[in-house]
Amino acid sequence: MSKIWIDNMDKKLPIFCPSCGSGLKVNSLYCDSCQTTISGLFELPLLLKLEQKEQDFIIDFVKCSGSLKIMAEKLKLSYPTVRNMLDDLISKIEDLQNHKQ
Amino acid sequence: MKDKIINPFKYVAGVTSFITGIIIISATAITGYFSKTHFPDIISVKTCPGFSIWYFFLQGFSNWIVLSLILYLIAVIFSKSSVRAVDIFGTQAVARFPYLIASFIGFSDSINKFGQYILWTYMQNGAPVDLSAPDVVIAIILMVLTLALTIWLVILMFNAFRVSANIKGSKSIVLFIVAFISSIVITHYISNFLIFKFS
Repeated sequence: MSKIWIDNMDKKLPIFCPSCGSGLKVNSLYCDSCQTTISGLFELPLLLKLEQKEQDFIIDFVKCSGSLKIMAEKLKLSYPTVRNMLDDLISKIEDLQNHKQ
Repeated sequence: MKDKIINPFKYVAGVTSFITGIIIISATAITGYFSKTHFPDIISVKTCPGFSIWYFFLQGFSNWIVLSLILYLIAVIFSKSSVRAVDIFGTQAVARFPYLIASFIGFSDSINKFGQYILWTYMQNGAPVDLSAPDVVIAIILMVLTLALTIWLVILMFNAFRVSANIKGSKSIVLFIVAFISSIVITHYISNFLIFKFS
């Protein structure tokens, strides 16, 4: 019963090691259809290192053709509020890129 | 709800806030003309003699333009975002809404009587005033209301700057205080000039 609940809940992808705080990498990938497991060492894509709401913001922004004005109308927020959200996201992406280097 | 009262700029900015703000400042000037309430700098509220309506319009608009202009220059210099003038000027205009409410205070005789009473009692200035207990109560309530409206105005002006300029933390507080004090000094001199011209 508890396993079903865990399977259905929105699990958060961990990107930092809870033990030492370093950035995590992908060690294995699993195919749910044929039960094949691939092991290796893969870097997490930059976008997956962002929080879910930040990923949703990027998807919405692309769907709005990159228009902050349309985005503001859609989110029912003011233009500068949405621009500030985008600027904060740009700053976070730059930090993640610099951290990687 | 609380968010919409202290930071409506999360939801409203740009041309909408600019037009709404101009209506608010104009309505404040007209109400101030009839209630004989003026705003001799960006945060002061005082009763005044009956000046021309143009005095109230010029004072209201100069209080808004001086602060907005200083905040815009600060935003252009210190913000990493691309700041729009319409957001700074529009949100600062909407932020003056509490003083539209304050402009009604002059319609009460109690506040004028209370001021005259203080002047006569403690400075022997003017003429003796017969002050009733309800007058004192109403005057104190209006003074507390004015203080609350002033605090609300400052919070709105700060949040308007923070949102439209995208400057955060202690940097935003320091820059706002600099703009705020500079604006008080400049608008004080502008008001003195306007009083001299219109009296």
